[in-house]
Amino acid sequence: MDLTNEQLIKMYTTMVKIRTFENRVAELFAGGKIPGFVHLYVGEEAVATGVCANLTDKDYITSTHRGHGHLIAKGGDIKLMMAELFGKKTGYCKGKGGSMHIADLDLGIMGANGIVGGGPPLASGAALACQYLGNDSVAVCFFGDGASNQGTTHEAMNLASCWKLPVVFVNENNMYGISSCTRDSMCVPNVADRAAGYDIPGVVVDGNDVVAVCEAAAEGINRARQGKGPSLIECKTYRHRGHFEGDPCAYRDDAELEEWKEKDPIPRLEKKLLEMELLTESKVEEIKGALQKDLAAAEQFAEESPFPDVSVLTEDVYT
Amino acid sequence: MSLVGIIANPASGKDIRRLVAYGSVFDNQEKIRIVRRILLGLQAAGIQRIAYMPDYHGIVERALDGLQVDMEAERLQFDTKADQRDSIKAAHLLSQKGAGCIVTLGGDGTNRVVAKGAGRVPILPLSTGTNNVFPYMIEGTVAGLAAGLIATGKVSRKEGTFQSTRLEVVIEGEVVDIALVDAVVSTDVFIGSRAIWKMDKIRQVFLNRTSPASIGFSSIGGMLRSIAAQEPVSMYLKIGNNGRPVTAPIAPGIIETVSVKDVQLMADWESVDIHFAPSVVALDGEREVEIKKGQEAAIRLSVNGPLVVDVEGTMTFAMKREIFAPATSIS
Repeated sequence: MDLTNEQLIKMYTTMVKIRTFENRVAELFAGGKIPGFVHLYVGEEAVATGVCANLTDKDYITSTHRGHGHLIAKGGDIKLMMAELFGKKTGYCKGKGGSMHIADLDLGIMGANGIVGGGPPLASGAALACQYLGNDSVAVCFFGDGASNQGTTHEAMNLASCWKLPVVFVNENNMYGISSCTRDSMCVPNVADRAAGYDIPGVVVDGNDVVAVCEAAAEGINRARQGKGPSLIECKTYRHRGHFEGDPCAYRDDAELEEWKEKDPIPRLEKKLLEMELLTESKVEEIKGALQKDLAAAEQFAEESPFPDVSVLTEDVYT
Repeated sequence: MSLVGIIANPASGKDIRRLVAYGSVFDNQEKIRIVRRILLGLQAAGIQRIAYMPDYHGIVERALDGLQVDMEAERLQFDTKADQRDSIKAAHLLSQKGAGCIVTLGGDGTNRVVAKGAGRVPILPLSTGTNNVFPYMIEGTVAGLAAGLIATGKVSRKEGTFQSTRLEVVIEGEVVDIALVDAVVSTDVFIGSRAIWKMDKIRQVFLNRTSPASIGFSSIGGMLRSIAAQEPVSMYLKIGNNGRPVTAPIAPGIIETVSVKDVQLMADWESVDIHFAPSVVALDGEREVEIKKGQEAAIRLSVNGPLVVDVEGTMTFAMKREIFAPATSIS
């Protein structure tokens, strides 16, 4: 795949942006600034970044409970995201949805989703709309290994294949559905193995290598745009933090975490770009400094925004 | 008691060539069924002891589950990494344990890494990968019989195996990796999704097995000249514009016309420089080695490749010795 220097630097910047955002959210959550639950994407940045590098605002994504990375990679506004996490009126969901409901339809972000396996039917539905309208937009469904065991996922893939819908199912296999290891909860070692059952291509890629993800996603997305139907891309990755903030992670050992940290996607790409002389140490600092500044502005915006009034409690509620 | 090793790669047949080409999704249930047939073949050949690579899915354990075989089965003990290091480690341990044969399930890539650890233990490679020039497309039962015959010595190594050649990647005078079928220099700078399929980036192709009936880059050379696995010759192709057009199946379902500027045969220990840096060298179909700017690198042919079981030859010796058809007094 021919990636330009600008594309490579942009992917690096996006991954660092996600990591910076998530690390700060962890601190803010621990400090009691963020109500509810947050599920952080630290360690998995290459997946959202590599996939979304192939999408435009006219394409759709469905996300998961671990959605911050997807939203940022698709162009979500971190000011509105942070305000939503703080439960403020200026947030993406007017402060009433929190981390697991953030959506931005103008950017094709159909929403984070607190329901495990809730995204695949939405993605197939969005893809059906694209097919019906006859445009060349596609839908990408991010889903986890836990969601891969849900009936909704199978139904969505089956119908997508029957109707040759322009959808790419991107599985983020981080080995654990909450605390259950895939070794104990899946009857096959790879989610991609299931593609054969739907008569669609299924591939496994290194989910901690943003270029590998980007290459595979490009092929799946182009295939969908050309009307050749869905595909399944399984990205093997790992979350550095717990399932949710506060999870003591008693179900996995430190050695496993340390091994995956050695495969951290951000230092991997940074090292390569430094070798290629596309980045310098000072440029790295400049990128990180600018992102910190943007993040501080987002945090200030969230802090200074008002909470929603009690009178709007029943507005925007659907049954 | 003769020992046979089994290395079944749970990851073979899953890479991006399912998307960019028309490779099959080779599911692990099929590998389990193949292992069952191998075990039954081994038992019929007199094998009572196997050792196998542990894997995430438990391919061999699942194959043994419910199968009536009178056989001691040892799970090799090591900390698995769920990548190619497992196959190398398993091959190395099997070599140390004195295995008489290693049966592999995978493609060219799997066998490349097994060969790095197997030493002088003969490999019997069964195809469950994407590009399959090195492994055989044969029935597992027959593979089990042949592996058992070699491991027990009923057919000797001299009779039933051959030594394959290999291509060595030499960087700054050091051998850093090997290929069993092909080494391809691409102007890619990333290993990325590993597979290699875009001819516009390929500049140099080295082949130590070629046949007009094979798949992958080997088939490009195969349209010009055949090279048998044990023949101490390899072929170097320089790819570039305005060369000889060669049409070949470079990947499953992908037939391309490649412009070959130059063809050169290489003898044992002969090497050809890699002319591009930075670049990436794909070994047996997968991008593996990065050549960094300023590095001196070359590809060298060596006759010191792995010992490989000749299944047809082995079974023919078994037939001649009446191993499975002993003569009786009743005519």
